[in-house]
Amino acid sequence: MTITAYRPPQQTGRESFAQSLHAEWTKFSTLRGWAIAVVIAAVLIDVVAVLAPRGDTQCGSGSGAACLAHVPTGPGGEAVNDSYYLASQPLAGNGSITVRVTSLTGMIAQNGGFQGPDSPPPGTMSPGLVPWAKAGIIITDGTRPGAAYAAMMVTGSHGVRMQYDYTSDIAGLSGAAPRWLRLTRDGDVITGYDSADGTHWTEVGQVQLADAGAVAGAVQAGMFATSPLDFTPNFPTYGESGGSTSNSVATGTFDNVGLRGGAPGGRWAGQYVGAGADSNGPQPAGIGFRETGGSTFTVTGSGDIGPVVAGMANSGYDTGTIADHLLGVFIALLIMVVIAAMFITVEYRRGLIRTTLAASPRRGRLLAAKAVVIGAVTFMLGSAAVAVAVIVGGNIAHDSGMYVLPVSWLTQARVILGTGAMLALASVLALSIGTMLRRSVVTVAAVIVAIVLPYILGVSGVLPASAAEWVLRVTPAAGFAIEQSVPQYQQVVGHYGPPDYFPLAPWAGLAVLCLYAAAGFGLAGWLLRRRDA
Amino acid sequence: MTGALRAEWTKLRTDNGTAWILAAICILTVAVGAATAAVTRCGSGGGCAVDPTKVSLTGIEVGQAVVAVLAVLVISGEYSTGMIRVTMTATPRRWMVLAAKAAVLTGLVLAAAVAAVAGSLAAGRLLLAGNGVTVAHAITGPVIRAAAGSVLYLALIGLLALGVATIVRDSAAATGAVLGILYVPPAIALFLGSDPAWQRWVERYTPVNAGLAILNTTGLHDLVISPWAGLGVLAAWAAVALLAAGALLRLRDA
Amino acid sequence: MEATIAVTGLRKRFGSKLALDGMTFIVRPGQVTGFVGPNGAGKSTTMRVILGLDAPDQGSALISGQPYPRLRRPLSHIGAMLDAAALQPGRTARNHLLWLAHSQGLSGKRVDEVIEQAGLATAARRKAGGFSLGMRQRLGIAAAMLGDPPVLMFDEPFNGMDPEGIVWMRGYLRALAAQGRAVLVSSHLMSELQDAADQLIVAGRGKVIADTSVAELIAAASGDRVTLRTTAGPAAMKVLTRIGATVAVTGSDTLSVTGLASDQVVAQLSEAGVRFSEISAHRATLEEAYMELTRDAVEYRAAFVTEAVR
Repeated sequence: MTITAYRPPQQTGRESFAQSLHAEWTKFSTLRGWAIAVVIAAVLIDVVAVLAPRGDTQCGSGSGAACLAHVPTGPGGEAVNDSYYLASQPLAGNGSITVRVTSLTGMIAQNGGFQGPDSPPPGTMSPGLVPWAKAGIIITDGTRPGAAYAAMMVTGSHGVRMQYDYTSDIAGLSGAAPRWLRLTRDGDVITGYDSADGTHWTEVGQVQLADAGAVAGAVQAGMFATSPLDFTPNFPTYGESGGSTSNSVATGTFDNVGLRGGAPGGRWAGQYVGAGADSNGPQPAGIGFRETGGSTFTVTGSGDIGPVVAGMANSGYDTGTIADHLLGVFIALLIMVVIAAMFITVEYRRGLIRTTLAASPRRGRLLAAKAVVIGAVTFMLGSAAVAVAVIVGGNIAHDSGMYVLPVSWLTQARVILGTGAMLALASVLALSIGTMLRRSVVTVAAVIVAIVLPYILGVSGVLPASAAEWVLRVTPAAGFAIEQSVPQYQQVVGHYGPPDYFPLAPWAGLAVLCLYAAAGFGLAGWLLRRRDA
Repeated sequence: MTGALRAEWTKLRTDNGTAWILAAICILTVAVGAATAAVTRCGSGGGCAVDPTKVSLTGIEVGQAVVAVLAVLVISGEYSTGMIRVTMTATPRRWMVLAAKAAVLTGLVLAAAVAAVAGSLAAGRLLLAGNGVTVAHAITGPVIRAAAGSVLYLALIGLLALGVATIVRDSAAATGAVLGILYVPPAIALFLGSDPAWQRWVERYTPVNAGLAILNTTGLHDLVISPWAGLGVLAAWAAVALLAAGALLRLRDA
Repeated sequence: MEATIAVTGLRKRFGSKLALDGMTFIVRPGQVTGFVGPNGAGKSTTMRVILGLDAPDQGSALISGQPYPRLRRPLSHIGAMLDAAALQPGRTARNHLLWLAHSQGLSGKRVDEVIEQAGLATAARRKAGGFSLGMRQRLGIAAAMLGDPPVLMFDEPFNGMDPEGIVWMRGYLRALAAQGRAVLVSSHLMSELQDAADQLIVAGRGKVIADTSVAELIAAASGDRVTLRTTAGPAAMKVLTRIGATVAVTGSDTLSVTGLASDQVVAQLSEAGVRFSEISAHRATLEEAYMELTRDAVEYRAAFVTEAVR
């Protein structure tokens, strides 16, 4: 008797990507060691965020959160310094103020070494002008800290600048005093002009002040002088942070002062706006303004009008960013890229790859499924861990008296999801390298040297600054730039280095890593298709 | 013991990857050292704060990864293929197996390290001089110490890696563990800036931080740990790893 | 001391599984001893314990009276092939044997000798990663013979061999035993062992179930059974059952008669005038004997079982 051919009970449909995905997910999730390792990696981010020691700030009124400075925020929500000496008159409506700045001099305290908030009286002041000492004219929406303003100024070594709303900075004429400055107000619009001779004026910039409604109120126009902390970094290498700051004062001499639109018979009134808010210690001597015959005035002030940067470069208190809570990310990265590499190299042991390719002959699809699984797992766990770290770290920073520079929730979301994406992209890159190299030991070493080591070399101060910056621009470690939450400001001298600042802009850094991952993935897929199993 | 030594030497000599790895140790170390030297200039202000020997030998930070890979391959490769059982039937006294592997590995690493260090110093001095960094013409005592110490450093890293890999056994996990032990503490030290006590401990007592103290030829009184003491710390780590490995090798089933 | 393997009371537990439960036997020189048992019976574990790779919880394993770690130049006392794939793929076959030889103080000359013996001369300088299964087996045998040991132990040496290889292997094993060596061979292929082995150790569930010669085992399993070929089936059945034999129909013209010796069957049928064309005394195969013996000890039985056609 003949035997009828065997027919399987169900005809399976065409193999879909979803099935490959399911198979790869099953492979990953059923190997307990891998799943546990990835979870541990994510948890380590939070462990480091909790355990990383933070200096406990001490101040006159106690320690920790009690010392947390009340930092004003500007119209854009960023933390600012708003401290200067102002000689002004109210400006009820439209008008303008014109001055000629004949000289700008300054003094710097020779403190040497870092001063705390309750340090001894400032040391001897000796003549010196910090690069961003400022003296000029300002139209400000009141004198409460953080008010909107526009200012034209002569600076210590950056020529004439127009600055407004703390973050904006436009260059005008270069060189030193004497310079003519003018600000005109027309409704909400304030325009700045400068001139070398008082006759030919060039428009430098124009701004519509942010708090448009409030400008209608008590607007002040006048002369001001201020001088930020003198910051000298301690180490020439990139990763080492810290430096010393000293108080400084600047004195601007003004003549040919003309105010149009002020109250008739108005007198110049002086005040120290934001008195001592950011300085080291009590008010330096000499602050104030004097009328020295005719319409010549000198104004002496100390402080800064501008954004606060991370790392105590221009503030008397400990500042950081949310990136400071993410110091454990690189450890998680190390573990995740090892697991991602093993996800593919384990198939090449004892010929398992043949079983896999027999089940999924479409090799590009197989690699894509693996990439999606490992990328999704690392992204979700990483983002969740980073979100927890940001929240928990924020509380710990608050309790220890460190001021975390505020950023919008959109920026925070970008940092959280972006760091998760960085971990995912690095994992995909590791998977691709593993597909290319196939041997697990060499792959793991190559992956760590290519992805994790550049970050460590870049931030640990082993390399000189230029080398470290190059490393953080060009290698896959550039992806860490996504953690940067506040921008660098050219108008503030500070230590712009990791973990708060990176050489590339956040999305640019992530794009570099993305390019590496895409190129690696493409090459790996091509090799996988071409090679014998 | 001679039998075991000869066997391990034959194994390494007939494996087709060994020569490539040794070459990679040299090339990577010299390349990274040269690249660092090429971008190093004297800082602003009078007096050059640059330590020319230390800058030239920066490549050791990367070359040590390849040394670690070699050490892992020497032992974990046998576990993944199952050949470790053949080795243990040939040499039933297991401490001898580990000792023979350690000896042969160290010999090879020393050879590669000498070439790497010599090449790094030569290239570095040339490039730094071209950048205007003052490089003493005479080879002074500290430079010899740094050079000899660097060669020893790489050998000790190899032994540390061998010990850890024998404990962990799985080749991928061993590589991750060894490279983690090497590279994670230095990065952590940086971020411990606000707790000087912990930072000091990490800089003095973790393998890479302590061991690399040997590279310094200037500013010795500012160092957290003196050069030879630092190398001693690394040697202690390697010894502990190898002892633990030997004990586990004996106790565990093959 | 006579060349033997003496295993006494081995007990070993892996986690929750009891792999060895009092394994005891002796392998003697001058014969091939087969080591058989269902999957999971503890054969490979026993071999690893003999080689000092795994430590038993209780009991001892001695090679020529000494425990393995005490042996100097162990490969000249016992040569073993456990896992033919335990090679590094990047190394040539000759170099694999070379390091092994060096570990025992032997030279490249000896390596070339065993390569010749194992029939690997043409493949010796190729990378072991490219070897077929059969070639890897030969390489494993060459490795075992490096020290010219009086005791040999092979774990599943027939696996992956082509028919020519199996014939060669069978002859090789018998030759080794004829030289006075003690040879222990584990295998699943009963048909091969039937022709190759003299003594049989049957293991099950971590202990020895039977330790006899092959001939005795087969004889015990054969029983009193006669196969009869006849066209007059029903008639024959009537005649034979009348005198008390049990008759089963096993095919269109074959009957299986139990309970009578073959000459008695012939006498009865001839007396009754029943014609038959063939009569044979049933000789159990080693496979049948083994299956019967280990029926209770089988741990991993497939759900999908075909009836063995007798």
